[in-house]
Amino acid sequence: MSTVDREEPLSERTRDERWRVEFPFGWDADELVSRRHLLQWSVWVSGALFASTGLLAVLARARQRRRGGLRAIVEASAVPVGGVQYFAYPRPDDPAILVRLGERRFAAYSGRCTHLSCAVYWDPERGRLVCPCHQGIFHPETGDVLAGPPPRPLPSIALREEGGMLYAVEEVFR
Amino acid sequence: MTGTHASTNGTAPEEPPRPPPGQPALVMLGLGVGVLLMAIQLWLLTVALNLYLLREERGPLLATGISGLIFLGGVIMLRVLRRRPRRRV
Repeated sequence: MSTVDREEPLSERTRDERWRVEFPFGWDADELVSRRHLLQWSVWVSGALFASTGLLAVLARARQRRRGGLRAIVEASAVPVGGVQYFAYPRPDDPAILVRLGERRFAAYSGRCTHLSCAVYWDPERGRLVCPCHQGIFHPETGDVLAGPPPRPLPSIALREEGGMLYAVEEVFR
Repeated sequence: MTGTHASTNGTAPEEPPRPPPGQPALVMLGLGVGVLLMAIQLWLLTVALNLYLLREERGPLLATGISGLIFLGGVIMLRVLRRRPRRRV
């Protein structure tokens, strides 16, 4: 009897055996990406996400520590009612805006739009704080968003008046 | 390796060891839960970024804590699997 005759007929073998005969490669070649490798990579990605979130937490904490400090802005009498004074606070490159709302009423806000950080300006005709980039409009008395895409109110700046001089005390985020 | 089951010499291949019933499904479920937890970590990262822009201090810390717990769980799972000998299914 020949070798071919002694072999089991192909139809009688199990499906797995037939597949192994037709595709004769070992398990080793079948291990390019195992479930353990997938898990290992997943843990690395998980670690990277954790590190990124931690970095944001560290940055947030570091930023909280430098929120300003006392700084002179302008003589109160130098700003007319309904007028504004642009200044920088808390850092030299942070735009801010002081609005005189009434005889004894002042308000100051960060001049950075909460949408995409464009510089906000005072529109005397409308009596509103306006961001020119996407027409974000803020209320001059509260800093709240009245129109446009900004998601949050403008951060306000606490003021103090001493001897006719206005001072910025602290930037307050809401 | 427990099995080089393929044969090129014409002999009948030996049957690979079968896993206990339900085990492959459990393993795949575990992997699925792991991927879901990673999606939660990604969501936490976006939440932390939003809170960072809102000048919140505690929010990103909390998100970091939860994300760290998920990462720790993954590391523990990896260490447990390294102690067990690998078995072909």
